[in-house]
Amino acid sequence: MMVSQSELVKEARENGMDLLPLDKDTYELFFGPQHMATENFSIILKMDGHRVVKAIANPGFLHRGFEKLAELRPWHTNIALLLRICVPEPDVPEAIYSMAVDEIIGWELPERAQWIRTTVLEMARVSAYLFWIMGLSFKLGVYTAGQWAAAYRERLMALFEQLTGARVYHIYTIPGGVRRDIPNDAWLRRLRDTVEYIKGKLPDFDHLVFENYITFRRMEGIGVMDKKFALAEGVTGPNIRATGVPYDVRRADPYLLYPELDFEIPVLEDGDALARALVRRYELEQDLYILEQLLEMGPPDGPYKVQDPKLKNLPRFKVPAGDAFAHVESTKGDFGAYVVSDGRNKPYRVQIRGPSIAHGIRVLEQLLVGARIADVPVILMSLDNCPPDIDR
Amino acid sequence: MKMEEIEFKVAPESKIRKKPSYIKPWLGLKYLFKKPVTIKIPYEKTQIAEKYRGFHSLDWKKCVGCNFCGQICPARAIEMTWLEVDGRMEKRPHPKIDYGRCTFCQFCVDVCPTGALGFVSNYMLTTEWKEEEIQLYDWVPIHPDRIREINEKFPDYRFPVEKIEFDRETKEVAYHLRDGEIFKFRILGYGIRPPKPAKPVKTGEEKK
Repeated sequence: MMVSQSELVKEARENGMDLLPLDKDTYELFFGPQHMATENFSIILKMDGHRVVKAIANPGFLHRGFEKLAELRPWHTNIALLLRICVPEPDVPEAIYSMAVDEIIGWELPERAQWIRTTVLEMARVSAYLFWIMGLSFKLGVYTAGQWAAAYRERLMALFEQLTGARVYHIYTIPGGVRRDIPNDAWLRRLRDTVEYIKGKLPDFDHLVFENYITFRRMEGIGVMDKKFALAEGVTGPNIRATGVPYDVRRADPYLLYPELDFEIPVLEDGDALARALVRRYELEQDLYILEQLLEMGPPDGPYKVQDPKLKNLPRFKVPAGDAFAHVESTKGDFGAYVVSDGRNKPYRVQIRGPSIAHGIRVLEQLLVGARIADVPVILMSLDNCPPDIDR
Repeated sequence: MKMEEIEFKVAPESKIRKKPSYIKPWLGLKYLFKKPVTIKIPYEKTQIAEKYRGFHSLDWKKCVGCNFCGQICPARAIEMTWLEVDGRMEKRPHPKIDYGRCTFCQFCVDVCPTGALGFVSNYMLTTEWKEEEIQLYDWVPIHPDRIREINEKFPDYRFPVEKIEFDRETKEVAYHLRDGEIFKFRILGYGIRPPKPAKPVKTGEEKK
């Protein structure tokens, strides 16, 4: 029996549902962008009962045209713009852009600048993982752990505030080094205390989130990603490590002080949401270990930025013609920037390679098929999607 | 080209894997007996970092009006302004900063060749949404010592000016500072070039 569209809508409204029925059994559901799990990102779900039949990613809510805007502004000014590509860890876009510009000019960074940059990147990783734990536990319904993670992240934000002068958008790493020196030894002591404090709190997170039977029931065997599929789609970061591929930019293409540091790469074969969560959990531990090693090393003496008269006149700062690619390992994956200069005081082209575009559109659409509606936020959070770097 | 083989130090799987537990989640209950970490703003005071990048300050005597700050500004929030204080025109233009656009990156402070432009840790941008309060956040910054004096009296990180009066006809501006002082000057024009003296208005009769 054929039922017309208007009758279905009428029936749905009568039953108190504000949905768009497609036929008798399936309906269309708009998931996001207001939903907390999607973070300014929307998915159009075709549902059959509570199962997803088809998912269509609907990005573009955060499109601000960063790459075009970067062509219109002086070299240093772009830092204040490009860091908005990744809100949870804004130091990563700063660092890749600065590294690419350094490579074009051929600057050798002073040791102190390298140490500070490595420390800031690792602090950003820890704070982004805490932010992710907050998101994940909110989606699992373990609100307590989420509040803890937010409170511990606050300690890192206070440290960033003392070092860089801002809490979220640091605008700290610039071509040729960093903008400010480490304030004092008290800051280093405070960082050591914070690292120890967060390390001491990790068992609490384990108890509530990662060893909780509810987490296992909700995440095991959900959103399984095949190794071959993940490699074909160009997935990087913890997501590909959870499918059994040991790949980390910090080891594959070492930068800054990482060749001197010792850390392990977590790899699991399962490829499901739980494996991705556990890989991230272990990486947080390793990042704290790296910070400990850096603090033991201590900041080397010397200048914190390149001693070049070019840096005195920033509006007329010119970069010789050339191009360079630099990438770092962020918590989302391989974050890269390709910068082209034609010798003017503005870049000719800045291309950003965001990690989320690999696992946030096509992979997500594939993983959501067959999932229950309650699993959609969990799968989204296990992929650690970052919408601004999809939209750019 | 032969690909270089990289050895990754892979963590043992036993370290990564966790076992599900029915009892351990209840251990979180011990936090019920601990003090909360949250602060009751605005009833409790917060501590701001010493060098927090907040509002600007400007030493008008040091400022040479080079417009470096205007050139580096990523948000184009800075406009050079010609001013007249006590009937005497300032020799060089001074930056006027629009906090509706400012991103607080403070690159303008970094590039200032004479160190005239600085910043203070005041950062509160919230208003009660009154018309005159919104107009506040477009100003020519005042001397850092003056702001510091006001901060000692009112340590709440708010904007040092309470009210800005602007007379459209005479172009006269009055900053009502928070400690009651009124600071008056006249805006002559905008831009890097000095403003031209006003031409006498030709009437229709003269044309004939």
